[in-house]
Amino acid sequence: MISFTLNGKKVETDADPDTMLLIFLREELGLTGTKYGCGAAMCGACMIHMQGAPMFSCQITLARVAGMNIKTIEGLSENDDHPLQKAWIEEQVPQCGYCQSGQIMRAAALLDSNESPSEEEIRNWMSSNLCRCGTYNRIVKAVQRAASEMSS
Amino acid sequence: MIAPVNVSRRVFLKSGAAVAVALSAGGIRLEAYASENAQEVFAGWVEVKPDNSILILFPSTEMGQGSETALPQILADELDADWDQVSIQQLDEDDRRFGNPAFGKILYTAGSSAVYGYFDVLRQAGATLRDMIRTRAAAEWEVDTATVATGKNRVTHAPSGRSMTYGEVVALPDFTETALLTPATLKTHEQYTLIGKRVPRRDIPAKSTGKAQYAIDVRVPDMLYATVLRSPVEGESVASLNDEKARATRDVVDVVTLPDGVAVMAKTLHASFAGRAALDVRWTETSPFRKYSSTATLAAYTKAAEGKADGAAWSTHGDVKAGLARASRSFDAVYTSDYAYHAQIEPMAAVASVDADGKGAEIWVGTQTQSWTTRTATEVLGTTPDRIRLNMMTMGGGFGRRTELMQNYLRDALLCSKKANQPVKVVWSREDDLKFGAFRPAAAQYLKAGIDDNGVLTVLHHRVATPSVIEYFNPIRWQQVDPNDIISMRGAESKFYDIPDFLAEHIKTERHARILPWRGIGAAYTSFAAEAFLDEVATEAGVDPLDFRRSIMENNARGTALIDRVEEMAASVPLAEGRGRGFAFAGYGDTQAAGIVEISVNESAGTIRVHHVWIAVDAGQIVSPDNALNQIEGGVLWGVSSALFERVTITDGQVDQQNFFNYTILRNNQSPAIDVYVAENNEKPTQIGEAGNPLVPPAIANAFFALTGRRIRHQPLTPDRVREALA
Ligand code: FES
Ligand code: FES
Repeated sequence: MISFTLNGKKVETDADPDTMLLIFLREELGLTGTKYGCGAAMCGACMIHMQGAPMFSCQITLARVAGMNIKTIEGLSENDDHPLQKAWIEEQVPQCGYCQSGQIMRAAALLDSNESPSEEEIRNWMSSNLCRCGTYNRIVKAVQRAASEMSS
Repeated sequence: MIAPVNVSRRVFLKSGAAVAVALSAGGIRLEAYASENAQEVFAGWVEVKPDNSILILFPSTEMGQGSETALPQILADELDADWDQVSIQQLDEDDRRFGNPAFGKILYTAGSSAVYGYFDVLRQAGATLRDMIRTRAAAEWEVDTATVATGKNRVTHAPSGRSMTYGEVVALPDFTETALLTPATLKTHEQYTLIGKRVPRRDIPAKSTGKAQYAIDVRVPDMLYATVLRSPVEGESVASLNDEKARATRDVVDVVTLPDGVAVMAKTLHASFAGRAALDVRWTETSPFRKYSSTATLAAYTKAAEGKADGAAWSTHGDVKAGLARASRSFDAVYTSDYAYHAQIEPMAAVASVDADGKGAEIWVGTQTQSWTTRTATEVLGTTPDRIRLNMMTMGGGFGRRTELMQNYLRDALLCSKKANQPVKVVWSREDDLKFGAFRPAAAQYLKAGIDDNGVLTVLHHRVATPSVIEYFNPIRWQQVDPNDIISMRGAESKFYDIPDFLAEHIKTERHARILPWRGIGAAYTSFAAEAFLDEVATEAGVDPLDFRRSIMENNARGTALIDRVEEMAASVPLAEGRGRGFAFAGYGDTQAAGIVEISVNESAGTIRVHHVWIAVDAGQIVSPDNALNQIEGGVLWGVSSALFERVTITDGQVDQQNFFNYTILRNNQSPAIDVYVAENNEKPTQIGEAGNPLVPPAIANAFFALTGRRIRHQPLTPDRVREALA
């Protein structure tokens, strides 16, 4: 039996401890906001927070998650109103949208530690996350918008 | 278990609930409409309910291009609807009454065609219903229809101060009998309230909160998971199989042999992958594809391009032989491009729940076509379309990947579900998606041009040696269009230029890999060749590359305006030290685009960095301006990515790349600044989604020449090619 905290609630499971957290979240718990894109730490679609740090959930087994605090896009805000989510809508960032949960989770971790990142800092930080639709420049704008909202 | 999604969304088309727009026969002057049967055209597109809400049908599918908002926006504008009252319904069946006029009424979302294909019919549908509502309201008030105004779901009669909501009007007795004595009047563009206005996309909130549901996210009760071990080389099947270990894996339920693979069905996705890894399969190893490697393929295509054999004329006027004989100087060059992969971030996935009798199914899948998805299912199950219940899911990227006549990801889900008698979700890993991908074809192109004494281009011969994409991915279509393959050839027509003697021909080569349409289709490589070659000719002629284009665009005012504009945009930023700029003029279909890029080169690493892209686009009337910008920016980045990195190689019939670590696509910190200008006019709308990428690779190649004095004629411009060019 493995137990951990997910979006503020306790989860217990007897699933195979080798199961990747990503697959467990999506297929067992139905938290499909976190996406599978590569399974190889190359795309960032699966980005979650573990103990507050951004992590590729496709690289973490359930065994490693025991006792940890996990946050997914579903737990990022109470009413889908995290400043980043509002900024994403304001800047009309998503196209297909598939990468965007991961982008937002990645950006949230940046703003947790850096209130006003420069464009270059944003771009470098966000480079773990692929967007095939090409929304990178809008992502930068949305992160800047959220940062200024959060610091005002 | 979370409740299943989208169990059925077919209510709208079938129910006669509330008031659907069914025009009474004989009440409309049919001859005034494009269609012979106006009733067919308008019925079912839109429904105004007595509670004043409006439901508009979305006939395409959504892969990120934004049509799900843009198309209803067009109809709602002519209807004078209150946008806040409008909800949108996905068309979930192969109902050709709503087929794409740009594709012979097939339900097919490709070629950036949704807005231009549906523009007229949506306007007519909206305007017809608006006029019916006005007519009925006028009758109710016993006033002249001309005195009844509409706006935001409301009719008003100013002289008497009366007004009703649309909902109230359609609830009046005999509304469906309302006959229009004259054809509906379309708005003039000054009257638009939604078309061309900034209307936020409806799908964006769900995509910013993780709530949007893609095929890969679907879960239905009692669902099994299947992953497929596929024959590593096309055209092979299972010779022998030992599945003992796979079957012994925890939670594995069954193992099924498919036409070209073995599926492991399990209670969890984890178990399915584990079971698949434990399979022991020998393949037939008899496929002719075993002898193909991409280097040899491209060499063979190059030989064909340079050869003398005539191809199929794709576009021709004048006489290139005579033109070349007359030219004061002539030039030639060969351009090549490698296979490229779609790399949509959602790998292929499909859920099927086959009925107990094996002759029907409910399906959840994201494809670019209700028609071919339905056909895949009816072919696989040997059944009729009425037994197929589709749920067209929003897609995690399309780019041409999801257009085939026979969709093997769906086929596998159906075959597995039929065997298991349970719903099954087939999931492709990224490695599957790349190894069993279907690519932009490799191509070799030979170009020959001649100029006159003034340095003006007078003749161009463009030979494109590449397989026929249509023949492979849609043989039915090929029978209709053979030998004209728009997917393989688009862009080679160079139609925005006046070139007195011109021939573009398709040298149809042998297919050595799976191939599919890929963003920009042929223009993704034909424009690379044509526009980089014209830059060479301009240089040889001693003419500025922009002026060189202007001299062959004297009859194309919209095109030259774009060149002027983009020149101005780039001129506002001084060229930085150590950088070079390049120009190209391309576009897609009827959309014209001019672009300038600024690059620098790291000579020792062989890497090219794109710093800035300026692009000016004329796509006629823009329906959704902000989304158009997003699409063009996305197209530009696609172009940068494909020009610099993207390359699939094949050895002995097998794809060499596995995942994003060796199939590289552009990342955020490699993205240039992009300035976009979109022409504002009220001409017929044309393509947007693929307008941004075709000009980027040639502009980069031309910038590389401007900076280094060297030409690279092979796309992508990889570090080894850069270093070789500089050596
Ligand atoms: S799925 Fe985890 S990084 Fe791509
Ligand atoms: S929005 Fe489609 S991959 Fe990012």
